[in-house]
Amino acid sequence: MTVQDRKQSLRFLFGPVVDALGYKFSPDEELVDFCLEQEARLEEKHGIPFCPCQAITKNRAHDMTIVCPCIPFHRKHYDAMKRCWCGLYVHKDVTDPDRLKQIPASALEQKKSPQRRKERKEEKSPQRRRERGEKKG
Amino acid sequence: MKKVKLYTLSTCPWCKKAKAYFTKNNIPFEHVDYDLVSEERQEEIMDEINECGGTGEFPFAIIGKKSVCGYDPDEYDRLLGKKK
Repeated sequence: MTVQDRKQSLRFLFGPVVDALGYKFSPDEELVDFCLEQEARLEEKHGIPFCPCQAITKNRAHDMTIVCPCIPFHRKHYDAMKRCWCGLYVHKDVTDPDRLKQIPASALEQKKSPQRRKERKEEKSPQRRRERGEKKG
Repeated sequence: MKKVKLYTLSTCPWCKKAKAYFTKNNIPFEHVDYDLVSEERQEEIMDEINECGGTGEFPFAIIGKKSVCGYDPDEYDRLLGKKK
């Protein structure tokens, strides 16, 4: 299957999934086309259509949270932005995706709980990872 | 002029916009495509991003001593002193 064919397949496959989650493909067709093409290429390389805007690491638990559509793993974050991180999907009520900004998850956590943000930062610190014997990710 | 470092993914449309922003505004910046470097270098980059409060979302810009996660031209302007 060519990348172009797979791109169409992913669109067909993801549509009903995100519809059930309250999202739709962005009205920005150029962006949708670009993101789906990147995902088809990532799938060709890694076997999985990862988000094209988030880091693939060697940490499987982390990497599974960025498999498109990754909305269920980032529900609060994406609902606050009314879009997913790469912008492939937007809330069903969005008509102008250009108005939506990328807001890092850490900024939302900071607003809600400075303590939780501090804990999360510590959890991800290189020292804590080494203590847990994890590879970076 | 503050030093600008930009971490990006070659697959990310917002990273392309971020690069275009700095290029268009004639702001010198160094950039690295995270997905195109060695695993060792990726670990170093992710450590640096984590230290700055990032979690692996791109683009990730470091402007002077501050960082910006995501494509945010208003914040780039503010940190570069172009906007108050």
